[in-house]
Amino acid sequence: MNKNKDVNFIKNFIRTVIIIILLIGVMVFLIDPFFHYHKPWFGMKAVLNDKEYQCIGTLRHFDYDALIVGSSVAENNDNSWYDEAFNCKSIKAIRSYGATADLCYLLDEAFSSGNDIKKIFYNIDPSSLNAEAAPTFESTGCPMYLYDKNPLNDIRYLYNKGVIFEKIPYMLVNSYLVDYDENLSYNWAKWKNFGSESALGLYFRPKEKKSMMDETVYDDKLSGNIELLTNEVKNHPDTEFYFFFPAYSMLWWDGIYRTGERDAFIHCEKEMVKALLKYENVRVFCFQDEEEIITNLDNYMDSIHFSPEINKYMLDKMVEDENRMTEANYEDILDNMKNLSDRIVNELIVPYEENGQITYEQ
Amino acid sequence: MSFNSFSFILIFLPVVLIIWYGLNYFEKRKLADLSLIAASLVLYELFSTNFVIILLISCIGTFGITKLMTKYEGFSKTFLATGIIGNLLLLGYFKYTNFFLTNIFAVLGKELSELKIILPIGISFYVFSQIAFLIDSYRYSKGTDNRESFDMESVSLSEYILYITFFPKIIQGPIALPGEMISQFRDVEKRKPSAENFRKGIELFTIGLSKKVLLGDNLSKIADYGFQYTYYMDTLTGLLVLISYSLQLYFDFSGYCDMAEGVSMMIGIELPRNFNSPYKAISVRNLWQRWHMTLTRFFVRYVYIPLGGSKKGKLRTALNVLIVFVLSGFWHGAGWTYICWGLVMGIMVVFDDLGIIATKGDIKKNYLLREKPMFIIPQKIGQILTYIMFLVSLVFFRSQNMTYALQYFKQLFIPTWPGFMYKTSAVLDIPENYLATTATNLYAKNMTNMVYLVSWIILLIISFIVIRSKNAKEIVDSGAPSKRFTAFLVILFVWSFISLSQVSTFIYFQF
Repeated sequence: MNKNKDVNFIKNFIRTVIIIILLIGVMVFLIDPFFHYHKPWFGMKAVLNDKEYQCIGTLRHFDYDALIVGSSVAENNDNSWYDEAFNCKSIKAIRSYGATADLCYLLDEAFSSGNDIKKIFYNIDPSSLNAEAAPTFESTGCPMYLYDKNPLNDIRYLYNKGVIFEKIPYMLVNSYLVDYDENLSYNWAKWKNFGSESALGLYFRPKEKKSMMDETVYDDKLSGNIELLTNEVKNHPDTEFYFFFPAYSMLWWDGIYRTGERDAFIHCEKEMVKALLKYENVRVFCFQDEEEIITNLDNYMDSIHFSPEINKYMLDKMVEDENRMTEANYEDILDNMKNLSDRIVNELIVPYEENGQITYEQ
Repeated sequence: MSFNSFSFILIFLPVVLIIWYGLNYFEKRKLADLSLIAASLVLYELFSTNFVIILLISCIGTFGITKLMTKYEGFSKTFLATGIIGNLLLLGYFKYTNFFLTNIFAVLGKELSELKIILPIGISFYVFSQIAFLIDSYRYSKGTDNRESFDMESVSLSEYILYITFFPKIIQGPIALPGEMISQFRDVEKRKPSAENFRKGIELFTIGLSKKVLLGDNLSKIADYGFQYTYYMDTLTGLLVLISYSLQLYFDFSGYCDMAEGVSMMIGIELPRNFNSPYKAISVRNLWQRWHMTLTRFFVRYVYIPLGGSKKGKLRTALNVLIVFVLSGFWHGAGWTYICWGLVMGIMVVFDDLGIIATKGDIKKNYLLREKPMFIIPQKIGQILTYIMFLVSLVFFRSQNMTYALQYFKQLFIPTWPGFMYKTSAVLDIPENYLATTATNLYAKNMTNMVYLVSWIILLIISFIVIRSKNAKEIVDSGAPSKRFTAFLVILFVWSFISLSQVSTFIYFQF
């Protein structure tokens, strides 16, 4: 009698658990908020706000022919700006810090997705040039079950409390109940304040002013990153690459001047541009020396992150083919930037210092 | 690989069970034993290969010494001492080297950067199991232990390794005695699949998993935050954090033990009980008969009684109790906070023994100061006082150092208000709260913190309901569950299952 009860319990328990678990798995598969299996179904929208979790899936499964590639500074781009300006269908390939190896990994995924990629708009962060030339997804704790091709570890996605209780409701609400704009994928600007107060408040100036390092100090890592990027260009001759250096604020330039890295960064940029300009399918643009923009701290949230208007400004300039670097002018442009950074440190930042608006690192 | 992981639940456990019962079905018992040893070593190896090497060397060494002890009776005491000291040195090296060196250097007025010694997982448990084996073997060979009727001399190396490495208990105990484990491994009937054992195993595992994952892990967010920001804590928040920690500690450890018992039960082996509703204890002494019972048993058998127990006078009895509890504290962690915690616990137990206050239902025949207790309090009062005393002692147990512990007491006993409660409760930004916080955010933005606070209070209420209800063992012993309770267990299992993986917020990667 008792044995029967025990057996019944075991059967009922296991049977019910399996049914519920299967239903949950099917639900997550169908809704798929990280787009790990497919693009949006059932009229759902591409609700994108978790780049570490969603970017890889969108690159593999979405339909597109252009990519906006970069770090957080590229996130505030409105995809429709690019689509209209270049008559394309773009999505974003974003990675925090924008390390070259990580972005190239995403590019490789995009190229192997079956989409015919015609244009790539690639934001080069200076810090990406001296970063390690190896992907950092695993070492930084990214959900590798979404990146690798192992179906067994998908269990961590299919049966995931965060996905079920949080991401799925968020996706459903944004798809059906509110007016979500798919072009604003990963956009964070609406939650942040831009202005000199914020920018200065988040800038911690290095206490010590170090002597300038040898400009070749990062050459080892730089050569690896040049190889990664030029390989992408070389291997995809039918794709047009638009590389651009974004307009970081003068605070950033002040910081790298004081850490003694300014010359090394400029040198890295020159070497990278030189290598890229060897290819016909490449255009390079520079917005670093846009004095009016970078010295107006109202455009910034911190020393790096600018408002969406600046994103739009850079795009417009690219459309008009302005701010373009060529083999003839790239060294002059970057030398001018070096001169401007001297002026920033010696002249333009001084009023802020005198007004006590600069906070020093502890 | 821990019990609360997909790979354990979906792959490791089913495979082990199939192989174990398959080999036993074909009466390949030796192979079945070896399969359990292999499974245990595989599970342990997933933490580190070096851990396995250390474990096996210490196992073979201890077993060898035991054999020498019984073979050369004239030197048995020497071998016993060698075995015990060897095991304690092993534990001492990995667990206490930095503690001793740091303190010695501090006395000399110098600073020491800590040595990089990685503590092998479960070493505190298996070293004690090995010591138990050595002493029980010695006692058996001398015929001095009436209670140990198990033939220790007949234990083979594979049986010994299985006893030590048995995967349900190697990581966090319980500290089983050799006789009670090896006799079960030898019992042919235990090797046959039993519906009752499976039913109990599933129930225990599900209850343990949900205690650990749904209660313990969420309470740990509060406790971790509170003890990290001790200096900012106000009195009420400090108290609630401390209560949360006391519950987390219980759910975490007892949940793991329930899972261990459940897994072991599915294999057909009954592990010794480690918890028996400790927060229902009516005195501190009673609490230690209910909390980490196998550790208490170890210290009583192998330390307290050899020191003379209660048979060498009242002062010595009190001293023996204090020694046992200080050692117990030190076993829990290499730090002065743990030693202090052990001492406080010891003092409380000695106080229980004085005969000043006793709880109804827990009256002893003799007390240290009097024959009968001066005051007898009702059981409910006894329970509350016991819990409060244990709670206070946990300040030492959880604080990162003595400075923080003393500061925590200051925050607790010098009233301050208001302050930190909303901030602390905000760590409960868990997926379960997502809909509530989003809805609140839409309609009453300033009230979002209230959602976290309410969820903290709900968590505490559920926790108290759980600790006041029947414990896992009582539940499984009361027979097959009703349909309603089965449905409840299914929900708990599925909820815990989907809680094994979560989406992290890349706070530092936002930009």
